[in-house]
Amino acid sequence: MGLALSKLPRLVRRERASMPMMLIAPFAALGLAVLTNLVLYGMLGKNPLIVLHAMLIEPFLSMYSFSEVLLKASPLLLIAQGLAIGFRAKVFNIGAEGQFVLGAIFASAIPVWYPNITGVWVWPLMLLLGALGGLCWASITAFWRVRLNANEILVSLMLSFVAIQVLNYLLLGPWKDPMGFNFPQSVMFPLDAMVPTLIPGTRVNVSLLLALALSVVAWFFVQRSFAGYKLEVGGLAPRAARYAGFSQSKAIWISLLIGGFAAGLAGAAEVAGPVGQLQRSISTGYGYAAIIVAYLGGLHPIGIVLSSFLMATLYIGGDNAMVTAGLPIAAVHVFQGSLLLAYLILATFVRNRLEWPTPHGEQGA
Amino acid sequence: MTNKLDRRSFMTGAAVAGVVAAIGQRAAAATADDPLTITLVIPSPVADVGWGHALAAGLDTVKEAYGDAVSITIIENIYEGPDADRIMNKAVADGTKFLVAGSFGYQNGAMQIARRNPDVTVLHASGFMVAPNFSPFAAQYSQGTYLMGMAAAALSKTGKIGSVSAFAIPELITSINAFVLGAQAINPDIECSVVWLNSWFDPAKAQEATKALAAQDCDVIFSNAQDTPSVVAQCEELGIYSFNLNSSMKAYAPKTYLGCVETDWSPFFKASVDAHIAGTFEGGNAFLGVADDVVKVVDWSADIPAEVMAKIKEAEAGIADGSFSPFAGPIMKADGSEGVAAGATMTKDEIVGMDWHVKGVTTPLPS
Repeated sequence: MGLALSKLPRLVRRERASMPMMLIAPFAALGLAVLTNLVLYGMLGKNPLIVLHAMLIEPFLSMYSFSEVLLKASPLLLIAQGLAIGFRAKVFNIGAEGQFVLGAIFASAIPVWYPNITGVWVWPLMLLLGALGGLCWASITAFWRVRLNANEILVSLMLSFVAIQVLNYLLLGPWKDPMGFNFPQSVMFPLDAMVPTLIPGTRVNVSLLLALALSVVAWFFVQRSFAGYKLEVGGLAPRAARYAGFSQSKAIWISLLIGGFAAGLAGAAEVAGPVGQLQRSISTGYGYAAIIVAYLGGLHPIGIVLSSFLMATLYIGGDNAMVTAGLPIAAVHVFQGSLLLAYLILATFVRNRLEWPTPHGEQGA
Repeated sequence: MTNKLDRRSFMTGAAVAGVVAAIGQRAAAATADDPLTITLVIPSPVADVGWGHALAAGLDTVKEAYGDAVSITIIENIYEGPDADRIMNKAVADGTKFLVAGSFGYQNGAMQIARRNPDVTVLHASGFMVAPNFSPFAAQYSQGTYLMGMAAAALSKTGKIGSVSAFAIPELITSINAFVLGAQAINPDIECSVVWLNSWFDPAKAQEATKALAAQDCDVIFSNAQDTPSVVAQCEELGIYSFNLNSSMKAYAPKTYLGCVETDWSPFFKASVDAHIAGTFEGGNAFLGVADDVVKVVDWSADIPAEVMAKIKEAEAGIADGSFSPFAGPIMKADGSEGVAAGATMTKDEIVGMDWHVKGVTTPLPS
């Protein structure tokens, strides 16, 4: 056993990861994922070229399709920017899904309690409430991580399932639409409780601008602020950070609160945007998809802008492929999963190199 | 070097040519003789049994009748929400002229499509909105579950029956009420417990709920709007009777299967497609039952005593010719107040909006 292992190559961290390679990796991952999945589509008996056309080209062929890409990109962009800040500090908030749901719930409180409310301040207040909701939910994870050193991956992930049960409870009970024939959904929101549309005739709304603006803020925070620098050092070299007097618990709190704030905002924008009411299927996994987006974007604010649009394109393209090419929804999920997998493998080799054992079985320098 | 470049540009060229050819094929397919594109969107898998299967089977008849003049696309596993709206929009943008929106939750999105596209006909399951090119459709399951209730009461030893149900919406409440009223026609003291799963498709929860009902001495179980045979199969294991809606699940319970309240959508779909092609489609509330050949009770269990079967057949004939309604008064509500006065009968609209349980249903409605 030990003998067999010693013959296997080992991963050794490169001193410097090549910058061009880092930039090429996401595109190479896309290429790899496309190739692998084309083979799968062929095995499913679908014409791979028609599927490819539906997935990657059709989203850009009409204004409507493209506007749907923008619509889908907004929550992904928001959540991923928030998560990436934590991921850079090695704080792994996997529970953005739950924070998204809490954001949706907090924002819905206004139209559910005041269904006839009017005023231009209604939707901004809802977005703010939603962001606070996500932040509160994330603070539970931060509290246990700092207090008991409870693993934030597990706590935040498990809290997502709790969040969905909270949503179910509200929709089946106190927040159910009294005129809704007992279906588990809230009242339809009044007009002033909806985020204004950006392009007439489409569903793209102001949350896209918000997401782009927050991307700029994220860039400043990561690249230019001392707080961002402290977080990054804490992630790269925890001991150096401690020696420099940077507080680790502060880093955990900041990372999780920012992630929760952004995810909550995205959840609020979703119910007050394309959904227009609180219902059980408000999120189709945005919180998890945003993790892929954050890593595909190299955890860099500009990279994330690009990767969120790529991911949104794949979503819309996947929907197209279901309609046009009769692809099952599972195949669409396989595509997204294989994209992340391909990127993680490539990124591993960009950051590390393989070291083969020397003929004598000794490890090289 | 040049050689390598040539090969690369050849590969690129070949790929581009392939994509162009693929698009060409699709464009050609869309214009050839202009077949009517029919699209069905449903939230659960089509599978071999259940709601999705019944809808798909209904469209099969349309396909048989029209052949290459229609093309049918089925998109399954689509959650109700913004994605469903987009997928229905996309289907219409791709040329769908006849859309079957197979779940209540698609109502708002499907109605918007109907308003924006007057040339598209939309059939929507279980809803209440109507437009000139938009018809809600629902089966009068209650006509069949009433007959099942009669059989259940004859076979129940404990005097307790139960139902594993999806959502507490009027359509399902009505089915349970008729089930209990039918049972009371045979045994006035019978009681019914209900478990609401809040899901159309959740095999694990459906099994657990069945066991829970059996533990409460229920010995006939009504699998109400469950797209999985889990309830029926579990009942076979427990040795108690069961029945379900939409399509027969006898294969899952050869010994204890009481029967199936089947829905056959083919006459309705066929008539709607005929009307669409003739340009005479008119939106309206399609609430279809035994008289429309949409609701049928099949696969009756051989265990039902002959004298009860005779009564069932009599009631069935009365329902078919309109001389008998399961919802004829007097009917008491579960809370003890009067639901329907003696001599009165509930109208279709009242049945469609029924949001209270009849006396004999012991589980309170979720509020």
